[in-house]
Amino acid sequence: MVGLIVLGCIGVIIAWGIVTFNRLVSLRNEVQNSWKQIDVQLKRRHDLIPNLVSVVKGTMEFEQDTLEKVINARAKAVSAGSVQEKVTAENMLTQALGKLFAVMENYPQLRSNDNIMQLQEELTSTENRIGFARQLYNDLVAQYRIKQEVFPNNIFVAFFGGFKKEVYFEAEEEAKKAPQADISIRRDSSH
Amino acid sequence: MPLTFIDIERQKSWRIGLFFIILLLMYFSSAMVIMLVAFGDIFAKDFLRGVFASFYIFIIAAVLAFVHFYLLSYGVAQTIKEKLGAADPDPEDELHKRLHNIMAEIHVATGKKRKMACTVIPGQAMNALAVDDFKGNALILITEGLISRLSRDQTEAVIAHEAYHILSGDCRESTLVVSLFGFSMPFIEKIMIYGGRAYIFSFILFKLGNLLNMLISREREYRADAGAVRMTRNPLALAETLHLLSKNWRGTGLIGSDLEGLCIVNPRLDYLDESEGFFADLFSSHPPIRKRIEILLAMAHASVAELEAKRRQNEEKPLPKETEKKYYALDAQYVWQGPFAVAELAALPWFSTLTWVSDGSETITKASEIPACSALFKTRIKQTEGRTTDYLCPVCQQQLIKQHYEQTRIYQCNYCGGTLVDGDKLPRIIIRHENAWSEKIKAQARATLKENQQSYIIHSAKQGKNKIVSLRCPKCKAIMWRTFYSYAYLIEIDRCICGAMWFDKDELSMLQCMIENKMAGEDFGKEDSKEDRTPPVSRQ
Repeated sequence: MVGLIVLGCIGVIIAWGIVTFNRLVSLRNEVQNSWKQIDVQLKRRHDLIPNLVSVVKGTMEFEQDTLEKVINARAKAVSAGSVQEKVTAENMLTQALGKLFAVMENYPQLRSNDNIMQLQEELTSTENRIGFARQLYNDLVAQYRIKQEVFPNNIFVAFFGGFKKEVYFEAEEEAKKAPQADISIRRDSSH
Repeated sequence: MPLTFIDIERQKSWRIGLFFIILLLMYFSSAMVIMLVAFGDIFAKDFLRGVFASFYIFIIAAVLAFVHFYLLSYGVAQTIKEKLGAADPDPEDELHKRLHNIMAEIHVATGKKRKMACTVIPGQAMNALAVDDFKGNALILITEGLISRLSRDQTEAVIAHEAYHILSGDCRESTLVVSLFGFSMPFIEKIMIYGGRAYIFSFILFKLGNLLNMLISREREYRADAGAVRMTRNPLALAETLHLLSKNWRGTGLIGSDLEGLCIVNPRLDYLDESEGFFADLFSSHPPIRKRIEILLAMAHASVAELEAKRRQNEEKPLPKETEKKYYALDAQYVWQGPFAVAELAALPWFSTLTWVSDGSETITKASEIPACSALFKTRIKQTEGRTTDYLCPVCQQQLIKQHYEQTRIYQCNYCGGTLVDGDKLPRIIIRHENAWSEKIKAQARATLKENQQSYIIHSAKQGKNKIVSLRCPKCKAIMWRTFYSYAYLIEIDRCICGAMWFDKDELSMLQCMIENKMAGEDFGKEDSKEDRTPPVSRQ
């Protein structure tokens, strides 16, 4: 009788172990996949920037400094290797682009250029997509971490290994301050 | 509510099974009633035969229910799309392109779990709906009026709301309810109107149909609102959208009462929808807009007063300044052309640094000596590059230039200022209120309308004798016919059989101005008698 109970307990533990393991593996893959999604969108941005710069260049002769910052940030982002490096480089690029867009507002003649308006729409869309992809990635990383760290699972993970902690794609320092500002002002800079 | 979208698995809902059983019972019970009425004596005589007969009836009912279920719900997304006349986004149109981009963004936000397409319903109504059928077609339908009047963030909120319906699976349930029980509603409504004696019968059916809204829970709208906020992290944009929707035409009559359960807000203004309590919770398909806005505003820490102030501010468009200098230019045949604004000058194909230009006074100078013009020469090549078309202006036989106007594409002649508009683009232009109208255009529109109202009868009587210049369509070369835009907006335009329309200079703006300011009818005529300033424009 006792033997049966012990056997049952072992069975339950093994079943739990399999379920947990599979859940962790699928989460790990989803995290990796969502990182790839960010990558796709970042690539899209890298491809669009040279177009924008070449179109804007003629009109914005006096803003060479801003343009150069964008070009440099892009070059750095393209060559970045590790995740952490990438995160910092991309955040710098986001900042540089934001500044460029702000400066572009001062040139009303750019507004009448269809080409630039289209590029700006494409870039706005890409920025949003990056934002959404990052949001999804961070949500998944959070879920993955929780799954690793809650009570019985942490023993299991320590025992098995192979499940490393993923890093969050954190927002740049500037953006972190945003919630303190007036919440009714939105990022509605496009159109 | 699950924490991330990955968790939202499509539930194989037990409710879908329930709908099938309801349908089956409906068929079975009605067949049994007919049976009992017609052959009631069989049951009385021979109980066993009666049991057998009802068994056969059950099988027939099951087959019928299955066919009904399959036929109506399988490809229903396509049916609804065709019914509402929705079309895929037009890649030539900037707003449609923006919509397409927004759809792609939301797709990313949802982790690309589900394929969704986006289509546009033509018309001024402001509403959006989602459908999802068993074929796997998930469609978001959004009206032209909505995408024209919402900002980027607001459109994104609407799309996110509809995408959440699709992701969470409740869209499939409600599409099923609509397709199984809802499609007969317009038919019943028609009987109610023309039915005479059948009125009472159809009224009961109509009320029964309304009861089916019970199956579509109003909770789902709250959930989709919350889901949209989690996707876009922007509760204010959704609150603004709902606020705007509550103040405008949401498509009563355009979107039939059969589809109202699918919409973001009920197209019909419904007392039940706007009330709370157990009874309303049970029977209505949409929660009160006021409450939805309250919840969203609580998330955004904002108040209704702020929303209202912002809406007012957006409605007040600054009037365009008439201070821009106009120039006349001498063309190759030594004829003065104009007046042109500086930007218009730059688009003239023959305009060069050596062209003689006058600002209307006695002095005549070379274009290169006027700073505003010479600045244009730098960018000039880029501006007209790739924008000339093969279409020729029907009035002056010159190449038309592609222009962006109200975020869509039109063709314009740089000589006479005439405009060619495709048939499908005109309604969009009319819906969009991006431009504000100057006093000059308003006065011209009023004067034209007045003159056309007065001379309309004489005009139509004389039509046979008058020599009417008939233009040829730049697109298909067919002869266009000259008509009024409509009998409410009496402005003469040339229409072609291919749908294209030709507007002479300023006529398009005048038409838009008339429609936006609702300048029609007699009351306007009275007002006009006081201020009759500008003569009507006629064809050169």
